[in-house]
Amino acid sequence: MRDIITIVVRLTVSCLLAATVMGLCFIFTSNAKKHNEHVKEQQVMYELLGYKGGAAIPESLAMHEVYRYVISNSEKQSIGYLVPAGHGEDGKFLFVNIDLDGTMIESKPVTLSAIEALEAETRNKAVLAAVSPGNTVTFADQTIVVTENGNRIAYLLGGKFQGFKTFVHVMLAVDPAFSFVGMEILEHEEDPGLGAEIEQDYFKNQFKGKPFAALKAIDVVKAPIPDDYFKALTGKVSDDDIMQFREQYKDKDIYALTGATISTKAVAYGVKGIVTKFAYRVTVLDKVLKEQQLAVSF
Amino acid sequence: MANDKSSMQLITRGILSENPIFKLALSMCPAVGISTTVMNGIMLGIAVLFVQVFSSVTISLFKNLIHPRIRIPTYTLTIATWVTVIDLVLAAYMPEAYAKMGIFVKLIVAFAIITMRLEMFACKESVNDSFWDGLGMGLGFMVGMVVIGFVRELLGSGMILGYDVLGFKPLLFFILPSAGFFVVGLMMAFFNWIEVYYKRSKGLK
Repeated sequence: MRDIITIVVRLTVSCLLAATVMGLCFIFTSNAKKHNEHVKEQQVMYELLGYKGGAAIPESLAMHEVYRYVISNSEKQSIGYLVPAGHGEDGKFLFVNIDLDGTMIESKPVTLSAIEALEAETRNKAVLAAVSPGNTVTFADQTIVVTENGNRIAYLLGGKFQGFKTFVHVMLAVDPAFSFVGMEILEHEEDPGLGAEIEQDYFKNQFKGKPFAALKAIDVVKAPIPDDYFKALTGKVSDDDIMQFREQYKDKDIYALTGATISTKAVAYGVKGIVTKFAYRVTVLDKVLKEQQLAVSF
Repeated sequence: MANDKSSMQLITRGILSENPIFKLALSMCPAVGISTTVMNGIMLGIAVLFVQVFSSVTISLFKNLIHPRIRIPTYTLTIATWVTVIDLVLAAYMPEAYAKMGIFVKLIVAFAIITMRLEMFACKESVNDSFWDGLGMGLGFMVGMVVIGFVRELLGSGMILGYDVLGFKPLLFFILPSAGFFVVGLMMAFFNWIEVYYKRSKGLK
């Protein structure tokens, strides 16, 4: 009996010790880890915009984060946007609450430092304080408006959709006319060698350059990729030829990955959903901002 | 049981006469599964080296406090703790290296060689000796992985450390997992042959 007690006590003590060591390590490294993730995200964004491998980023380029929230109470729902206000001064945000039919309910200035805006917890609190009491707010997604000298050149859209197994997290880049610029698969758990091929360039590049009209109707065709097109997708031909192929295939459907039609369809329809919904939302938001003469940074 | 070997002897023992892969035939899964390139071998080798040294020292420090009946759970706990710590530190401060070796680091918890060294050596010997023994075993494992990786990468894809040295692919077979067994087997034979040869030349039996 005494033996059992000592064993239990010692095992508990060693487990507690191990937990303390691991916990301390986690606390000390969590900040650096978050920073790394942020840096990686930034890198992905710049790569999508064409600044690959540490190419110099011009100073005229600016990114403006737009956070979308669903505001709901027991009677109705509306959409709230947290947008950087004025000319992008630090700490000034504007909260715009838009009804589902596209009319503005209210707009309020919100003070939030850049770091606080990045942190989900403090940002959610600020939004909750901005809406009238009795409402609940749910974070929906964030979009980044990229401007160069004040003119919009692209939108970066984060999003996720159901893949073959779990959610596929992506970041998409579209230009102001919502034509496809690029895509990065951030996280997925598709099968290696089959669905995991969605992160290969030859698959992602099929979407590049597709106009909004084609994206809205995009589908998947179960056929092997033609050899010459495949070469263009993997970048084995000259840039002019790639552009020519892009032009030739811009209204065509996506070729399904061998043995992974479901993953292909998931990505194609997921991209279609993200882009079409975003196009609608940003048009509504722009209309409201213009009507109400609200100054935002983009 | 006191240890009568010097620190240098402990290290060479780990690399040569008691090499984890070629002599003790432990941790064969990674040796066969991951050793397709030299780089993989180096990465996994470094990770194992750190975990082995830290775990050996920890167990040696607390050897008088560990109840003999629960020593194996305690070893596992120690190894898991160090693996987690190294995993977290790498992820935080060396994100680029972590992207390559993250998956290997998590595998180490299940490595037989580490538990075996704790059971055979660290729980009986002094902290100092345990450190050198852990270092030797970790280095031995790394050398084994690099040698196997060298053969398989050279013959399988004609490359060394990602640089194309042959310009063609001699035998694609060596990249496949089954070839790992062949390479490990041939290496074992080679190591044993060297040992026999060395002992004969010294006039030992």
